[in-house]
Amino acid sequence: MVKKRVPEWLNSSLWSSSTSNEDDHRLSVAVQPPPSSTTTTTSQQSNNNNHNHIHTSKEAEVVVEAEAEAEIETHAPAGPSAEDISRQAQLLSEISKKVVNMRELRRIASQGIPDTAGIRSTVWKLLLGYLPPDRSLWPSEMAKKRSQYKQFKDELLMNPSEVTRRMDKFKSCEKDDSKCESRCLLSRSEITHGEHPLSLGKTSIWNQFFQDTEIIEQIDRDVKRTHPDMHFFSGNLPFAKSNQEALKNILIVFAKLNPGIRYVQGMNEILAPLFYVFRNDPDEEYAASAEADTFFCFVELLSGFRDHFCQQLDNSVVGIRSTITKLSQLLKEHDEELWRHLEVTTKVNPQFYAFRWITLLLTQEFNFADSLHIWDTLLSDLDGPLETLLRVCCAMLILIRRRLLAGDFTSNLKLLQNYPPTNISHLLYVANKLRVFFQERIRNMPDEPKLCNLYQQDGQSQI
Amino acid sequence: MGSSSGQSSNYDLSFKILLIGDSAVGKSSLLVSFISNSVEDLSPTIGVDFKIKQLTVGGKKLKLTIWDTAGQERFRTLTSSYYRGAQGIILVYDVTRRDTFTNLSDVWAKEVELYSTNQHCVKMLVGNKVDIDSERVVSREEGIALAKELGCLFLECSAKTRENVEQCFEELALKIMEVPSLLEEGSTLVKRNILKQKPEYQAPSNGGCCS
Repeated sequence: MVKKRVPEWLNSSLWSSSTSNEDDHRLSVAVQPPPSSTTTTTSQQSNNNNHNHIHTSKEAEVVVEAEAEAEIETHAPAGPSAEDISRQAQLLSEISKKVVNMRELRRIASQGIPDTAGIRSTVWKLLLGYLPPDRSLWPSEMAKKRSQYKQFKDELLMNPSEVTRRMDKFKSCEKDDSKCESRCLLSRSEITHGEHPLSLGKTSIWNQFFQDTEIIEQIDRDVKRTHPDMHFFSGNLPFAKSNQEALKNILIVFAKLNPGIRYVQGMNEILAPLFYVFRNDPDEEYAASAEADTFFCFVELLSGFRDHFCQQLDNSVVGIRSTITKLSQLLKEHDEELWRHLEVTTKVNPQFYAFRWITLLLTQEFNFADSLHIWDTLLSDLDGPLETLLRVCCAMLILIRRRLLAGDFTSNLKLLQNYPPTNISHLLYVANKLRVFFQERIRNMPDEPKLCNLYQQDGQSQI
Repeated sequence: MGSSSGQSSNYDLSFKILLIGDSAVGKSSLLVSFISNSVEDLSPTIGVDFKIKQLTVGGKKLKLTIWDTAGQERFRTLTSSYYRGAQGIILVYDVTRRDTFTNLSDVWAKEVELYSTNQHCVKMLVGNKVDIDSERVVSREEGIALAKELGCLFLECSAKTRENVEQCFEELALKIMEVPSLLEEGSTLVKRNILKQKPEYQAPSNGGCCS
C-alpha cells in the first residue's frame, strides 16, 4: 500500500548523485546555469512543462536521463551558454515591448534570469507588480511611489522632539498666525503633560518612542548581521554602511506601518536579495532609488507570507505551522516512504528544518547567487510564491532521499539543516516535475498508472 | 560534513543541551566557538539550529547534542518543543546589555519552568562578551547572585576570544553526570541507539552521496 505510491523516477540514482560532485563548482554553477550543449534537450522539455504538457512516466524517464547527462556536463567550466544568451535576448525583448506580456514574461523568467544587464531588477519589479505591464506608465508610477516612500520616511523616522516641536509650531501658528511669523526669538516650547518624556500615558508619543527604540535596536543588530560574508552588506566600508542604512530604514518604516507584525527576525533576510538586485541595477537612476523600490516590492512579496511572521497566527490555518504541515502532506503525497522514514521512523519534526526554509524563502540554505535563481522561479511561477516554494522544498527532500532513508534522527537533521550544494536548475526542474506528476496522478486516479514498487530496490542494493 | 551516525557507538553517554537567551547575546557564536574552534560572524538564528560535539569529560566519552534557539520573542511559541528531554540548559546573556540579563529572570527562567520536562535538568548562567570589558554593564557579582537565586551554575565567557567557552560545556556536562537520573537518561539514549543500529547506517560514507 505504502510502496505503491512512489513513481519510479523518484528512485533514479541520479537524484542523489547529482549533488555529490557539485561542491567545488558551487559558485560557477550558480552564476552560470548549465551549458547549452546538453541542456537544450532539457530546456526544451522544461518549456514543454511550462506549456502544461503532461508527460507519461516513460517520457519522464527519458527526460531524467537527458538531465543526467546535462548534470555531468555542468561541471565543465563554461561562459554564458547559448541558451542563457537567448533567454537574455528573449527577456530583453519582452521587457522592451510597449506593453509587457506578463504570461510570456513569467514563462521565460521561471527558468532563471541571467545575472547580467540589470534584467533581473526590472523583471522582478514587474513580477511583483511594482511596475505595471504598460511601459508608458513606468515613469509616473515610479515617481509617485518614490515620493510616497520619501514621505513615509519623513513622517516615521522622525524623533519625538521633532514631532512635538512641529506640533507646537502648528498649534501656535493656529493660535496666532501673525505673531508666529513675526516672532524672532526662539521660545521655549511648551510641552503638554501628555507629551512629556516622563509621562506614563500609553498614548504619549514618548511611550511609543521607547517601544520603537527597542525595535529599532533589534533591527540595527540584525541588519549588521545580514550576510556577514558579503561586502555588499557587511563591514565598515562606506558602501556597506549606506546599504545597511537603507535596509534599516525600510524595516523601520515597515514595522511602523504594520503595528500588528512590526519587525520579526528573518525579514532582513527576505529584504536582502531584493535590495541587492535593485541596488546593482546598471541604470544609475534606478540604483539610486533602490531603497524606495525595494520597500514596495518587499511589502508586496511579504503580503503572501506575512502570516508566517505573526505569532498570533502560529496555530491558525494560515500560520507557519499550517504551512509546514502542507509541506509534510506534499511529501507524503509524492514520496510516502521518505515521509514515513523522516516523520515516523526517525521522528524528525519538519518544524526543525522547514521553519527556516519557509520563513526565509530558502535564502539561508544555498549560496546567495543560487538563492536569486530560486527566487526567479518563486516570483514568476503562476501558482504563486507559496505553492512554488513548497514544491521546491519537497524537491529538496526528494533529491537527497537516499541519504535520508539511510540516516537516523541525528544525521538527517544535520543534513536538512545544512543542505548539500545542489545544481539549482536541476532542483527547480524536479520541483516543476512534481506539479506535472501530481496533475497526471489526479487525471489517472482510478488505475494509478505506472507507479511502481521502489521500496525493495532502495536501501539494500543502491546504498 | 559526513554523517555522524557512523560514529554513534564511540561514546559512553549522550546528552541534550539547550541554548536560550535574548536575541544577539551570542548563543550561536558561543556554540560555533565551541564546536569548530573558530570565530565567525553569524546571521541571526531562525527557528532552531542543531549541532553535535563529542568530547571526553571525567574519563567518559560524551556526545552532546546542542540545540541553539532563536532569541526573538516571536519564536517562543515554537521553541517549547525544543526543551523536551534536555538534560542541560544554558541561559546566555550579554554583559554589555542589561536588558538581556534582566530578561533571564523575567522571561527565560519562566520558560524553562514551563517547558522543561526534566525536573533535575542542570541549568547554567553564562555571561558572554567579556572581551569588551569597557562596555560591561552587568558585573560578575550580579551574575553570581542571579545564578544563585535561580539555582544555576555560573560562568562568564567570550565567544570571540574563546575564553571559558569549553569550560561552559564541560562544567555543565560534569554536573549532569553527577545527577543519577540524568546519567541514567544519558546512557539509555546510547543503548537505544546501539540497538537501533543496522548495517546500512554505516553506509552513507561510501554511498557516493556524501559531500
